[in-house]
Amino acid sequence: MIEVLGYEFFRNALTAGVLASIACGIIGTYVVVRRMVSVSGGISHAAFGGIGLGYFLGIDPLLGATGFTVATALGVGALELRARQQMDTLIGAVWAAGMAIGILFVYLTPGFAPDLFSYLFGNILLVPRGDILLMMVLVAIIIAVVAYFYQELQAVTFDPDYARVMNLPVERLSLLLLVLIALTVVMLIRVVGIILVIALLTLPAAISRLYTTRIRSMMLLAVALGIIFTVAGIWLSYLANVPSGATIILVSTLSYAGALGVERLRQGE
Amino acid sequence: MTAPVIEVEDVWVRLRGHTVLEGVSLAVYPDDFYAIIGPNGGGKTTLLKVILGLLAPSRGVVRILGSREARMRNDLGYVPQFRTFDFEYPVTVREMVLSGCLGRITRRPRRYGEEDHARTEEALETMRIADLADRQIKDLSGGEQQRAIIARALVGGPKVLLLDEPTVYVDAPMTAQFYGILDGLRGRMAIVLVTHDIGVIPKHVTRVACLNRRLYTHGTNEITPDMLEAAYHCPVDLIAHGVPHRVFSEHLEE
Repeated sequence: MIEVLGYEFFRNALTAGVLASIACGIIGTYVVVRRMVSVSGGISHAAFGGIGLGYFLGIDPLLGATGFTVATALGVGALELRARQQMDTLIGAVWAAGMAIGILFVYLTPGFAPDLFSYLFGNILLVPRGDILLMMVLVAIIIAVVAYFYQELQAVTFDPDYARVMNLPVERLSLLLLVLIALTVVMLIRVVGIILVIALLTLPAAISRLYTTRIRSMMLLAVALGIIFTVAGIWLSYLANVPSGATIILVSTLSYAGALGVERLRQGE
Repeated sequence: MTAPVIEVEDVWVRLRGHTVLEGVSLAVYPDDFYAIIGPNGGGKTTLLKVILGLLAPSRGVVRILGSREARMRNDLGYVPQFRTFDFEYPVTVREMVLSGCLGRITRRPRRYGEEDHARTEEALETMRIADLADRQIKDLSGGEQQRAIIARALVGGPKVLLLDEPTVYVDAPMTAQFYGILDGLRGRMAIVLVTHDIGVIPKHVTRVACLNRRLYTHGTNEITPDMLEAAYHCPVDLIAHGVPHRVFSEHLEE
């Protein structure tokens, strides 16, 4: 059991899982309290366009996804502010268009796209060292930005109208939050894949919400839960020799269902 | 005469092809308790949003303490219509009230100082919710939540307190208590109260206006039949449902 830790790929997988959990605990908290789950779903699926672009240009697909998701997040934010379009329609369009762009780019790329499948469904056991480095940089950025703007982000996600009356730069802060979501999505792609990102982003925070009374403590508990879910998922998938991303998501979903059930019983008493 | 704290000058607002406000002008003075009444959809919330800078008018200007700069909004305390934000948000009463200080903090990153905490405790005391300070806002009763929202508006030491339909979700005994609290705030700041329910106008208002696209007022605290008819476009029955109403002019109370 323990000897598997001697393998570098396994240590890398655990490191990637922990890094991703830190990002999704912090940013997922905002996603849950501000009810931005569908926006995050749209941004994560649009990331496939960036993966395709990466293949097409011959660069690291994850780097392509970073640029693409950040641009998408800014675009969605700007449209939300100006176009006065119905947000759910807009998200649906971005969601599908991103996937479509990805498919076209992959088709246009000569040769075979080697681990396309792992971007869609994740394969944490194959995370290269370079990606771990990229994830570390992203986690550092996310922590620094959230620590600096902690009060502002709380005010904007709680009551944006009041934040505007207090002269906070609400539009810029909303865009900043969308960019942070985009960066978090990129980190999660390696771990669980584009299709499953939304679950890992929201489930630890949603469970944490049941037991915490402040944003700060909600983030800390969500990070801890995320680490437990990813490590347990990686371990189980290794033992049973099944896909890791799907295992992590099922562990998270079952825990969420269990937490809701316990909460229901407690309130029934 | 002292200068007005809020001046609204010939404000027009068009939203989605409809004229919501039409040539609205009003002035609020430091010792005013100004009630603006009118039917639902008459533009009351829109007018507040224009004053608060949440909505840019298509024509006209708003001055706060004589200035049009955005930073003047820090002198406004805003009590939004109940339930306009998410009460499930994980925040304690103290944290929510404290957040009302955020606009005045100039240092970066924004962090609360000693004075902010002192003001917060004072606002909690004023609204008599100091004993609830560590509870989550979702665990409070409707009346307590309402007081927490007002405490957040008071904590920045505003020159004007603007309240949007503050009594909609508050039951009758609480309403009386609520107006008692507002009376206690008079003299410290001007109060502007917006409501669709002419039965709840407290007796201490100094000025009343009716708003239905246009603003009708005599600049006094009397509601006259012509104002109501103009605002509601039909004769309004001024029966007071047992609430003491000094605001109605004499001949209607026979």
